[in-house]
Amino acid sequence: METLLNPSKTPNLFIPKTHLFKPYFLHSNFNPQPHSSFNRRPLSITITCKVKTSQGRKNDGKNISKKIVLTDSAPELSNEEIKAKPKGGGKAWGVIKKFPKRVLAILSNLPLAIGEMFTVAGLMALGTAIDQGESPEYYFQKYPEENPIFGFFTWRWVLTLGFDHMFSSPVFLGTLILLGTSLMACTYTTQIPLVKVARRWSFLQSADSIRKQEFSDTLPQASVSDLGVILMGAGYEVFLKGPSLYAFKGLAGRFAPIGVHLAMLLIMAGGTLSATGSFRGSVTVPQGLNFVMGDVLGPTGFLSTPTEAFNTEVHVNKFYMDYYDSGEVSQFHTDLSLFDMNGKEVMRKTLSVNDPLRYGGITIYQTDWSFSALQILKDGEGPFNLAMAPLTINGDKKLFGTFLPVGDTDSSNVKGISMLARDLQSIVLYDKQGKFAGVRRPNSKLPIEIDGTKIVIVDAIGSSGLDLKTDPGVPAVYAGFGALMLTTCISYLSHAQIWALQDGTTVIVGGKTNRAKAEFPDEMNRLLDQVPEIVESSISKKPDNIGG
Amino acid sequence: MIFSTLEHILTHISFSVVSIVITIHFLTLFLLVDEVVGLYDSSKKGMIVTFFCITGLLVTRWIYSGHFPLSDLYESLIFLSWGFSLIHMVSYLKFKKRKNNLSAITAPSAIFTQGFATSGLLTKMHQSAILAPALQSQWLMMHVSMMVLGYAALLCGSLLSVALLVITFRKAIKIIGENNNFSFSFGKIQYMNERSNVLLNTYFLSSKNYYRYQLTQQLDRWSYRIISLGFIFLTIGILSGAVWANEAWGSYWNWDPKETWAFITWTIFAIYFHTRTNTNLEGVNSALVASMGFLIIWICYFGVNLLGIGLHSYGSFTLN
Repeated sequence: METLLNPSKTPNLFIPKTHLFKPYFLHSNFNPQPHSSFNRRPLSITITCKVKTSQGRKNDGKNISKKIVLTDSAPELSNEEIKAKPKGGGKAWGVIKKFPKRVLAILSNLPLAIGEMFTVAGLMALGTAIDQGESPEYYFQKYPEENPIFGFFTWRWVLTLGFDHMFSSPVFLGTLILLGTSLMACTYTTQIPLVKVARRWSFLQSADSIRKQEFSDTLPQASVSDLGVILMGAGYEVFLKGPSLYAFKGLAGRFAPIGVHLAMLLIMAGGTLSATGSFRGSVTVPQGLNFVMGDVLGPTGFLSTPTEAFNTEVHVNKFYMDYYDSGEVSQFHTDLSLFDMNGKEVMRKTLSVNDPLRYGGITIYQTDWSFSALQILKDGEGPFNLAMAPLTINGDKKLFGTFLPVGDTDSSNVKGISMLARDLQSIVLYDKQGKFAGVRRPNSKLPIEIDGTKIVIVDAIGSSGLDLKTDPGVPAVYAGFGALMLTTCISYLSHAQIWALQDGTTVIVGGKTNRAKAEFPDEMNRLLDQVPEIVESSISKKPDNIGG
Repeated sequence: MIFSTLEHILTHISFSVVSIVITIHFLTLFLLVDEVVGLYDSSKKGMIVTFFCITGLLVTRWIYSGHFPLSDLYESLIFLSWGFSLIHMVSYLKFKKRKNNLSAITAPSAIFTQGFATSGLLTKMHQSAILAPALQSQWLMMHVSMMVLGYAALLCGSLLSVALLVITFRKAIKIIGENNNFSFSFGKIQYMNERSNVLLNTYFLSSKNYYRYQLTQQLDRWSYRIISLGFIFLTIGILSGAVWANEAWGSYWNWDPKETWAFITWTIFAIYFHTRTNTNLEGVNSALVASMGFLIIWICYFGVNLLGIGLHSYGSFTLN
C-alpha cells in the first residue's frame, strides 16, 4: 500500500474533514446516494473538494493520490484523489464565493425535494377538486364565508391564491420552478460526482472485507480465473489483477437516473417554450367557405412570433361523416385545400379525427363538427338555406333544429314546420302542432307533405370544427419524452459488483447489488455452481450458501 | 353468438378457479395443514389456468368486436385482472425454486376486479361497444394497455408495502384487535401464510422477530422491484397518452382530471424512489409512501371516472 504524501501538505489532510463538520447541512446533503452502503464520509470528501476546487484549476498538477482506509462499515479501498484546496484570498471574497455553493447545497437537499414533490402533488389534487376557470360569483356561492369548509376555506383562499386557475397560478408555477432548480442542483452536485465514483473499479485486497459483503461465499478448490471466465460468460465485465478479481454488470443502471433528471429538465424547458411561444385558435367553418390562418390564430405568450405560413387561406371543400350500421358516428372528415397568397393551391388533404394536417409548422386538427344549414325545396321553389341552430340537451350528444314558418309570417304567433337533426344523415320533421311528421335523408330527395306544403330535403350542409396550432416546443418535449422513457427503462437495471480473492486454493467471493437484492443471491449461486472444482476425484460438491 | 358464449364460459371458469385458489389459501392458513405442498401445487396450477382463461377471454373479445379490448371500464377491469395474473405468472416463472407467495396478493386482487366487472353494477357494458372517433387510433393499444399494466404492478407493489407496514406494526394492531373477538387482519393472514411456508424450509429455532425481519426484508425487496416495473409502465403510458393527445387534439397536456391524477400517482411513486435512496428513510417510510400510492391509484383509476367529465369520459359509468 503506497501512499504518496507530500509532507508539507499533511496538515491539509485534516482540513477537508473539519470543513465537513463546519457547515452541517453540507454534510447531510450528500446522503442521498443509491450506493447505500457507501460510507458517507469519503464520498463527501471527494465532493467537497471537488466543489471547492472548481475555480482552482491550477492545482490540477499537484494531485495527491491516497488510499483511504475506513474502519467502520463496508471497508472499500478506492483510489481517490484529493485535490489540494486553494487558498482563497480574503475572507469576504470567500464568503461571496461560498454563497452560490450554499444555495446549491440547500437546493440539492433531498427532504426539500421530497417536500416540493408532495406540494406539487397536493396542489394538483386541489386543482382537480376545485372547479377551474369559473367566474368569481361561482366561488362566492360554492365556498361561502358564512359556512367555510374545514372551518377556514372560503372563496378568499381560492381567489387570492389563484386556485381558480390553479395550473397557471403563481403558486403552482413557482413550486414547479423550484422543483426544476432542485433537479438541476441535485444533478450537478450529487449525481455527476457519482458517475466518477461508480466508474472507478476497485479491488478488495483482504478476505475479511470480501466476506463482509451482502453476499459472500467460499469455493474451496477453485481458481479465480475460472470464476472470471464464468462471469464473463454471464455478461459481467471482469478485471483480474494478480490474485484478486473485480467484476461488474449493469453500470448503465447507475447513470440512468441522471438521464431521467436531464430528460425531465428538457421536458420542462420544452413545456415552457410551448406555453410562451405558441399560437392557438379554433374555428367552425361551414362547408364551402374559407378562412385565413392568421385571422384565427392567437398568441399564447410573449415569445410567439408569426411566420409566413400564417397568410395561407384554407378552403373547406367538403365536410362529411362516416356512420356505423347502428347509426352512431364513426368518423368525421374534412376535405381541405390550402392556398397561398397568390392563390395557388399548395396542399390538399382530407383530415379526420386522429389524422391532422401539417403545413409550414401549423397543424390543423379535426376536433368538432356542427350543422350549418339545411337546404330545402318548398313547394318546388328554392333551394332555401335554413340555418340550423344548436339545441342544448343533457349529455354530449348534439341536436340541431330549424324552423320553416308557414302561413302568416307577420303575426306574433307564427306556426311552421320544425326540423330536427342529430347528425347529417337524417332529418326529423314535425308539423305545425308539433306532431311527428316524418324522417327524411338528404340524399334520397323524397318529398314529404306536411300541412299542405311539399318539402324536399336537398342537402344537409355541415360545418367543420377545426383547431389550429403552432407549437415550437414540441420537438424538445418529444425528445424529452423519448429520453425519459428510455432512461426510466434503463434505470431498472441493477448494478452488481463482485469481488474475489484467491487465497491458496480457495477463492473467496463477495458481491453486492443496488437494486435486484432479492434475485442476486440466486443468480450468484447459479454462477458459482458452474465454477469447476480443481480436484483429482470426480465428485464435485458445491458448498452451501453461508452468507447473505 | 359463439364468441359471446365462449366469452361467458371463460369468464365463469376464471372466476371460479380464482375463488378456488383463494379458498385453498384460506384453508392452509386456518387449518395449518401439513400437506400444504400438494395443495400449493394445485393453487399454482390454478393461477396458471386463470391466466390462460383471462387471456382467452380478452382475445375472444378482440376478435369479436374488431378493436383492442380496452375501450370502456368493463374491458379495462378485465385487463387489470389479466395484469395481476400476468404478474403472478412472471414471478412464478422467474422464481421456480423458491416458494413464492405473491399469489396471496395477486389472486384476491384478480378476483375482486373481475368480480366487480362482472357484477350487476356494470351489466350495461358487457356487450362490446363500438369505438368513438377519437378512440380509433393505434395509440389506444399502447397507451391504455401500458397504463393498466402499470396500475396492476403498482397496486401489487403497494399492497406488499401495506403488508409490510401491517406486519411491522402488528403488535399494535393485535392489541387493538384483541379487544374484538374478530381479529382477522389482512396482515395477520399474510404473515401466517408466509410463516407457514418459511417453516417448511428452515427449522423453527429462533424467536419470532428474526422471521419477521426476514419477511419484512423480502416484502421490502419485492415491493421495490415490482413498483419499479410498474413505474416504468406508468411512465410509458402517461407519455404515450400525451403524444396521442397531441396528435388527436393538438396539445399534449390539458390538465384533465384523469391526466392530472395520473401525474400525481407518478409523483408519489417518484417520491417513493427518492425516499429509498437514503438509508435512514428506507423501510417503513417508503412503505408509508407506497401505501399512500395505493389509495391514489384507486382515485386515479376509479374515482375520476365517477365524475364523468373531461377528455377521458369514455370510462365513466353510472350506478343504477
